[in-house]
Amino acid sequence: MRKGWLVVAGLLAMAGVAGAQTFVWPQKWTVAKPQEVKRGGTLRNSVISDYRTFNPFITAESGNVPSIISGGRGLVTRDPTTGDWIPYMAESFTVSPNKLEITFKIRRGMKWSDGRPITADDWITTWRIHTDKAVGSNSYDSFFIDGKPITLRKIDDYTIRFTYPKPDATAFAVAAFVPWPAHVFGPVYQREGAEGIKKMWGLNEDPNKIVSGGPWLIESYRPGERLVLKRNPAFGEWNKDEAGNPVPYLDRYEIRIVKDTNAQLAEFLAGNIDLMAPSTVDHISQIRQAIQQGRLDATIKVNASPVASSQFMVFNWNKASDPFKQSLFRSDKFRRAMSHIVNRQAVVDIVYGGLGTPMYTSVYPVLTQWINPRVPKYEYNLQEAAKLLAELGFTKKDKEGYLVDGRGRRLEFNLATNAGNAQREQMAKLFVDEAKKVGVKVNFTAIDFNTLVGQLLASGPDRPFDAIIIGLSGGDLDWPFGSNVVPCKGNLHMWNKSGQCIDPRETQLDALYSRGRTELDFQKRREIGFQMQQIEAQLLPVIYIAGPNYHPAWNNRLGGEHPDAIISAIWGQRELELTFIKK
Amino acid sequence: MTAYILRRILYLIPTFFGATFLAFLIIQMAPGDYLTQLELDPKVTPETIARLRAQFGLDRPVHEQYLLWMNNILHLNLGYSFAYQAPVLEVIWPRVVNSMVIVLPSTLLLYLVAIPIGVYGAVRQYSLGDRLLSFLAYLGLSIPSFFLALIAIYILLQIKFRTGTLIFPVSGMTSSGFEQLPPLRQLLDIAWHAVVPVLVATANDIAGLSRLMRGQMLEVLGQDYIRTARAKGLAERVVLYKHAFRNAVIPFVATLGGLLPSLISGAGFVEVVMAWPGITPFFLDAIANQDLYVIAGFLTVSLVLLMVGNLISDLLLAWVDPRIRYE
Repeated sequence: MRKGWLVVAGLLAMAGVAGAQTFVWPQKWTVAKPQEVKRGGTLRNSVISDYRTFNPFITAESGNVPSIISGGRGLVTRDPTTGDWIPYMAESFTVSPNKLEITFKIRRGMKWSDGRPITADDWITTWRIHTDKAVGSNSYDSFFIDGKPITLRKIDDYTIRFTYPKPDATAFAVAAFVPWPAHVFGPVYQREGAEGIKKMWGLNEDPNKIVSGGPWLIESYRPGERLVLKRNPAFGEWNKDEAGNPVPYLDRYEIRIVKDTNAQLAEFLAGNIDLMAPSTVDHISQIRQAIQQGRLDATIKVNASPVASSQFMVFNWNKASDPFKQSLFRSDKFRRAMSHIVNRQAVVDIVYGGLGTPMYTSVYPVLTQWINPRVPKYEYNLQEAAKLLAELGFTKKDKEGYLVDGRGRRLEFNLATNAGNAQREQMAKLFVDEAKKVGVKVNFTAIDFNTLVGQLLASGPDRPFDAIIIGLSGGDLDWPFGSNVVPCKGNLHMWNKSGQCIDPRETQLDALYSRGRTELDFQKRREIGFQMQQIEAQLLPVIYIAGPNYHPAWNNRLGGEHPDAIISAIWGQRELELTFIKK
Repeated sequence: MTAYILRRILYLIPTFFGATFLAFLIIQMAPGDYLTQLELDPKVTPETIARLRAQFGLDRPVHEQYLLWMNNILHLNLGYSFAYQAPVLEVIWPRVVNSMVIVLPSTLLLYLVAIPIGVYGAVRQYSLGDRLLSFLAYLGLSIPSFFLALIAIYILLQIKFRTGTLIFPVSGMTSSGFEQLPPLRQLLDIAWHAVVPVLVATANDIAGLSRLMRGQMLEVLGQDYIRTARAKGLAERVVLYKHAFRNAVIPFVATLGGLLPSLISGAGFVEVVMAWPGITPFFLDAIANQDLYVIAGFLTVSLVLLMVGNLISDLLLAWVDPRIRYE
């Protein structure tokens, strides 16, 4: 009898340990129920550009191999249903009262694909290598706040502490970096330093030597052609669905490199690839047609969400050589008039074929929680534009029908964008036409991208452009304002690169940016964000135009996509870990 | 003859340095560099970009960069790719080999088809067959190869929609699951994928070559010695193939030199449209990214092959054409 109790107690204890070891993938992240799920099969995807390295420390492109095989998750990950950070490779975390330290308890029982345990040393080594200047890692900057380093300390094998130089809203995003095996990179780093690290894990490396802690292992890679990944069994030991089945369900994940979107579409229509995110009206309608005519068994979600990218027009505030234009571009009345000239609806209809979203502030429309619904919008209204320009003294028109001020100076400026970007060129032409109706002469030229960037990012009191249409992308859920964009000294403070704030509202934005970034309470931070959008909308440092939408499509042989509510450009259409082949 | 060859090789040395320097200079004259694209990334600080620029040596004067690179070339090292962080030769070689799978059969097919068409067109000038072939040739010449590839994809897809089978693959070089196939099946798989790209790549060039052959042949057929041969009472077959054809083909020997670099330079936009993992899409990427040493290194290899090819075709000319002598 007593023995029996001991066994039960022992079983309970083991269950406790096993529970702590496992990360359970929430049911609400997929539409499929655990009993529908089938194991095995291959998911076939395609990418537009080839891979460049398997090395996590020198990789630079988005969608790189290390981020795929690792699953891109670290100590914490985001729950797509709430946007909150939840423990992932960590079992729990505690934030110190002064908000400067976060201590993570690392989940026990996690293993690398070669069988070695995943411990605190892996994070420490990964961090050391990322922050070695000589390695040139793309993640280097993320380990610093205002130039001051974030430091990591190992407390014991399964406890690690992050220390921040100041409270930071993006603290968890930093801590979410992906660890790589210390027993692989550590010895090389010690022996040969940065140069040794850079030589590791090139595309020629034997796939069997690539160690992964994530869902996938490399099975084979053919340059320019195909990357084939296979399930990492070690991952399934601590990643389970709610029924206790190990994930990923798939045996293989195959990614074809298809450089041309037309060829991608053809393969999707032929049923040879399973995933697609068409970006043009033409591609979308071809997929829809194929589905309607029963030639293709697939699903497409048109306008699932906006994409986290923006197109905007920026005026140059630093034109010492032309005081007339400089005072014009620095006037918020002028910029407001220009905003009234931008026909955002026409841009969405003509440039994006009705599949885009107009924009008014720097916060991408897809970051719905962050959008301040009450910001003033200076919509398309030519009368209003003419009225504002009249207030600036442009009341008369010259022989050619363009506005002139009291001293006979014509309202005229140059507008540039990068040649080859058809969408931006169309936006520019629409603007030129509308401006002409009001009597503003806009001289549009499309120039080489690198020249454009050179002009845009030139600094000093006299910069070589009038106005530019360009775009940025990215977008952070914790704090959606750009650390390079908002502060007056920022490298991407494109409208004013004199190195100091000119308009008092710029100073205000600069201060609010720092305050928001150090505010850890989400609600308060959101309030600051709303205030910043309010100021942005009045100051109009750049005039936002519109951005494209996200239209995911998949072949219906796949199951396990996200519920509709979380299909978006931020969360994608599915978690690969929870995806399975129906037939 | 040996003296001539040696002299030619000596001439090649200044040509080599001149051409490589010019190529290097032109690449560098394009605005911006490999790191410019990073500058619009809100996550990257200017300090990081400056540091990388110094690490890549892009902050040094152009002539210094050229000399360093030349030093590498003389040690048979083409340089280092910024994007791949690996030696240039290592990253371009597999792509060149893939391209050859299209280029070699397509070149062979080109000569096998174009020359007979050209001869036929000259011998049966203005016949129905000649007109038909001319029409087709001009059609092939006027449709750009990328467009022809798109048409091919469209037709393949329509057949697939009607019948449910894909006669030839829409894109790519190998099927899914290629690695698990036995070697012979792998070979067949690649051949199956290569059919459409080879045809498309050839269609475009047939026109040019066959028209040239037709023109040459017509010119030769108008010569006095052909009349003489006919007057002697030689059989028409002998006149055409022994007297006319051999003379008409001489200018083609001179173009053989250009074949050598074209073997490695890929099949063009067919590769992009049909997702063939060849050198063309790779090289376009390198140009778009301004991956300096990949562009310069590849141009250098092509240059060397062109110089060697020209030398060989000059020597071949002397061999086939008794009027040419190098002393």
